[in-house]
Amino acid sequence: MAHPRHGSMLSFGGGPNNTTPSEKPLFQNAPISTASQSSPGLRVPSNRKTIYDRHLNRSRNAELSRASFAFLFSEMVTYAQRRVTGIQDLERRLNEQGYPLGLRLLDLLFYRTIAGSSSSSSASALSTSSTTSSPPNRPLRILPLLHLIHGPLWRLLFNRPADALEHSVSPDTPNEYMITDNDPMVNTYISVPREMSMLNCAAFVAGIIEGVCDGCGFEAKVSAHNQPSEMWPGRTVFLLRFGESVMEREVVLEKAGVK
Amino acid sequence: MSSTTKTARIGEELWKTRVDKVNAELVTLTYGTIVAQLCQDYDGDYTEVNKQLDKMGYNIGLRLIEDFLARSNVGRCANFRETADMVAKVGFKMFLNISPTVTNWTSDNNQFSLIFEENPLADFVELPDDGRSQDELWFSNILCGVLRGALEMVQMQIDAHFVSDILRGDDTTEMRVSLVRYIEDEMPPDEE
Amino acid sequence: MYVSTVYSLIIINKAGGLVYQREFHSGLHKLSTNDYLVLAGTFHGVHAITRSITPRLPLASTATNPTTASHSATASLSVTSPSSTTTPTTPTPTASNNPTANTPSSTYSFPNPSVPASGLEFLETDKFRLTCFQTQTGTKFLLFTDPFMANIDVVMKKIYELYADFVMKNPFYQLEMPVRCESFDRHLGSWLRGRI
Repeated sequence: MAHPRHGSMLSFGGGPNNTTPSEKPLFQNAPISTASQSSPGLRVPSNRKTIYDRHLNRSRNAELSRASFAFLFSEMVTYAQRRVTGIQDLERRLNEQGYPLGLRLLDLLFYRTIAGSSSSSSASALSTSSTTSSPPNRPLRILPLLHLIHGPLWRLLFNRPADALEHSVSPDTPNEYMITDNDPMVNTYISVPREMSMLNCAAFVAGIIEGVCDGCGFEAKVSAHNQPSEMWPGRTVFLLRFGESVMEREVVLEKAGVK
Repeated sequence: MSSTTKTARIGEELWKTRVDKVNAELVTLTYGTIVAQLCQDYDGDYTEVNKQLDKMGYNIGLRLIEDFLARSNVGRCANFRETADMVAKVGFKMFLNISPTVTNWTSDNNQFSLIFEENPLADFVELPDDGRSQDELWFSNILCGVLRGALEMVQMQIDAHFVSDILRGDDTTEMRVSLVRYIEDEMPPDEE
Repeated sequence: MYVSTVYSLIIINKAGGLVYQREFHSGLHKLSTNDYLVLAGTFHGVHAITRSITPRLPLASTATNPTTASHSATASLSVTSPSSTTTPTTPTPTASNNPTANTPSSTYSFPNPSVPASGLEFLETDKFRLTCFQTQTGTKFLLFTDPFMANIDVVMKKIYELYADFVMKNPFYQLEMPVRCESFDRHLGSWLRGRI
């Protein structure tokens, strides 16, 4: 299986193709679900306050307290810590918790950039995108994907772009890219104990990035690493390592002149 | 001006001036991934998931109360009715930007309901269509734990549980809160 | 010109244990770790005693004289923001909605929610002043400052906020245990430096 995680995550988001009979469907809290197919088996309130009756952009500029996020995230880390064997295992689990967010945010990003850039209503823009094989802003090459993550994704999540985007200078690792955040929001209140100094809880964000990459069809492994500087003690580098198939495709697309 | 209105003003003012903000969708989706993880870890045993969410909330409440007190600078409430207003109009406002309605008091003033018009934790959410979740899962159960933990730290033992939820097909989302007793000793509680 | 030297900070947990001690400015003699522990425990004990000798409001008077209770409550609700001035409009708890009359234990008197018994608030010598701030949850912050320092409450409030942020929101901090949070130290240090 080329993308085992993506496969299992699809069932998580309610995709019918990947759901084996033994798998239980989980929450369909994907921002974009197929609105027409409201599940007949679920009860709905008589005032019809369901997700299908509310506009997807109603929370677009909504804000919540940063403290609420911090407490939820902190509890997520504490809970994960109880069930893991070591730092790597903990980071893997945080990564897994971020992954579904990446898949969902990707849909949301596409939906909003399409709706925003087109003069037609958001609904018709959506239908256009579903009939076209490649929606206008879906990245086909690595670089546009990285820009999508560095810019729009970061702005959606943290209200600012990431701080740097780099390509590995080593000829041995042309598939490695780095996105830097000088002060990751998720780590603001976290002090990692000395004996765990390798740990970076932004592994959660690495998981989000991985979800976005996989969701776009770019198989990748993403990890978060501490790279403190005097000015930025919390500086974090997200290392993206794209799979071989992605690199081979890059070559083909390059030749074909696709940007 | 009623004391409830005054409390609501305090909440509004705090939200505007003293609360650092983040994108609401990040919070909503993060909570969603926590609940989904629990459902996976407990293999769809929703009763256990409810329990775990309540525990997580309790642990949060024990800590969140310090943030509430440090930023709000409010003093002790004179009675449980004031506490209810403080929770609904200042607490929920500060942390979730909502102000649930306080209603359905019992005659002894020890029990009330919070009615949620809005619930940012449940935005985007539809429960699994498995024939059980709408009868067994309280998606936002973490909030009950938060209340229990936070109030315990200011010497009130309470019980909180949801009695209805729009996600279950009910017309309202309602939490029932009861004062069990005021705690007289100051021994610190253990994290669950 | 304010004298604004903050010598050191101590945090005492709910059980009287020392969980944090940090010096910001030299000027006072250093104590041994053991002496700090003794200081924390002793202060905790003395503080509890000063609280317990604070006269309690008998229940009967609270019930018959609701204005007293609600007055203090109204005053304590004020927030330190320019627009929310405390108007002394007294909410009138009528006999029916005053739950003190219905509290589970009828002999209940302390902690009477409407009467915060604060206990010892400061100690002073020629050379320094020790100010204690106890949160409603029972944690104590002890600040050693210059005896003439003004606006200690502002410093205290900020310290409490930093504690709520960098200690309480840190998943690796266990409640009631010694505070070893690098970013708490860092933010505390830079804030105190910044205001001098």
